Amino acid sequence: MTVYLRQVAAIVRKDLLLELRTGERLAAMGALTVLVAVLFHFAIDQGLVRMQLLAAGLIWITILFGGMLGMGRTFEMEREQGAIQGLLTSPVPLDGIYLAKVVSNFVLVTLIEVVAFAAYWLFFGFSYGNAPLLLTGVLGVATLGFVAVTTLFSAISAQTNMGQTLLPILIFPLLVPVVIFGVTATGRIFASRPVQEVEGSLYLLMAFTVVALTAGTILFRYVVEE
Amino acid sequence: MSLTRIRWMAMVLGILGVAGVLVLHWLVFFWVGTERTMGIVQRIFYVHVPSAWVTFLAFGITALCGAAYLWLRDERLDWAAQSAAEGGLVFGAIMLTSGPLWAAYAWGTPWTWEPRLTLTLLMWFVFVGYFLVRASAEDRQAGKRMAAVIGVLGALLIPLVHVSVLWFPSLHPQPVVLNVEEGPTLDADMLVTLMIGLLAFTLIFFSVFFLRYGLEHLRYQRALETRGQPRAA
Repeated sequence: MTVYLRQVAAIVRKDLLLELRTGERLAAMGALTVLVAVLFHFAIDQGLVRMQLLAAGLIWITILFGGMLGMGRTFEMEREQGAIQGLLTSPVPLDGIYLAKVVSNFVLVTLIEVVAFAAYWLFFGFSYGNAPLLLTGVLGVATLGFVAVTTLFSAISAQTNMGQTLLPILIFPLLVPVVIFGVTATGRIFASRPVQEVEGSLYLLMAFTVVALTAGTILFRYVVEE
Repeated sequence: MSLTRIRWMAMVLGILGVAGVLVLHWLVFFWVGTERTMGIVQRIFYVHVPSAWVTFLAFGITALCGAAYLWLRDERLDWAAQSAAEGGLVFGAIMLTSGPLWAAYAWGTPWTWEPRLTLTLLMWFVFVGYFLVRASAEDRQAGKRMAAVIGVLGALLIPLVHVSVLWFPSLHPQPVVLNVEEGPTLDADMLVTLMIGLLAFTLIFFSVFFLRYGLEHLRYQRALETRGQPRAA
């Protein structure tokens, strides 16, 4: 078990180090996140609609697009210069590779979420409610579910000649629960509603995340096997 | 199953299915009573519901055969999964066009975010993804495996999507015009017509399914033959 965890940690470290040194994915994801917020400013007539009421939806759509942009490159990066061969032939079990990619993507998307929340606060002065701990919990669970599905499908889209064009068509139908419960829960937290109104959504997000992560761990081997 | 038997079955099922659809249309236009509140448009029901049933059936077959293919790696399971998915895509399209036509009159709006509508729309998109992956995979074998993964994952996550959408209306007002669930229970003549519709559509689906399966069988044989022959000059 400890060997397994060390192997997973080694891949996570490699991915994050690579990101730290090149910054290519993070730069693109961060830029897209801020730009989507800018576009929403011009896309919505703020004389007619109160932006705060749309806050949760806008933030989640921004996170989905920003996150997808970077995660779509997860395996394309590895395939350039055949690095994936080395990874697949290494003694790390295939599910370990998947989990490592989920963890490193989770870190990236979490950073994007910080950017998104900061950008929306800066541009629109959104208020994020008075339950920062609960908000972090909801975001964490929902992000894990989102990352679990997208990481698996980025391994699929990397092996097609359509590449990242295919990714949204594959993941969006399956990510509807994340959008519904993520938006419901965060929206209610933003409105400072009692915890009881958020619990139900949080539990269903947890169920989704557990199913997505388990299925991804089991199915990943069939996607990458040679 | 031999190729001749597959073709034979496809033909028999096809003839029975087409005959069933003809009978169905005769019943729909000349026999079955007109529904009281929705009037004549309600007759779309007899095409809509059977195509929805076949779509779900096809999705189930695709997911089951896909899972079995990942496990056993029998090419025939992949042929079956692919054949069912194609049928599902076609019948899903029939369902998604007949539904809004009916709803536009019955509910006053072509689309509502009612759980079943949302579910079937998303399921249809999963089918679309299934074929896009198959068609664009750089490696054919990988394409089959990846498509199977999509089928299995779709079957696992679709129930969750369903639960999610069931919860969703609690945030929004229910459709006010007409609610499907509170519709009248079926009269005997309507039930008979519906049953014949279900039977006819199922027969046609399996006929197309076997034709498609036979085609994959032929392709496979052809590939074996070309591989066995020495390269022509």
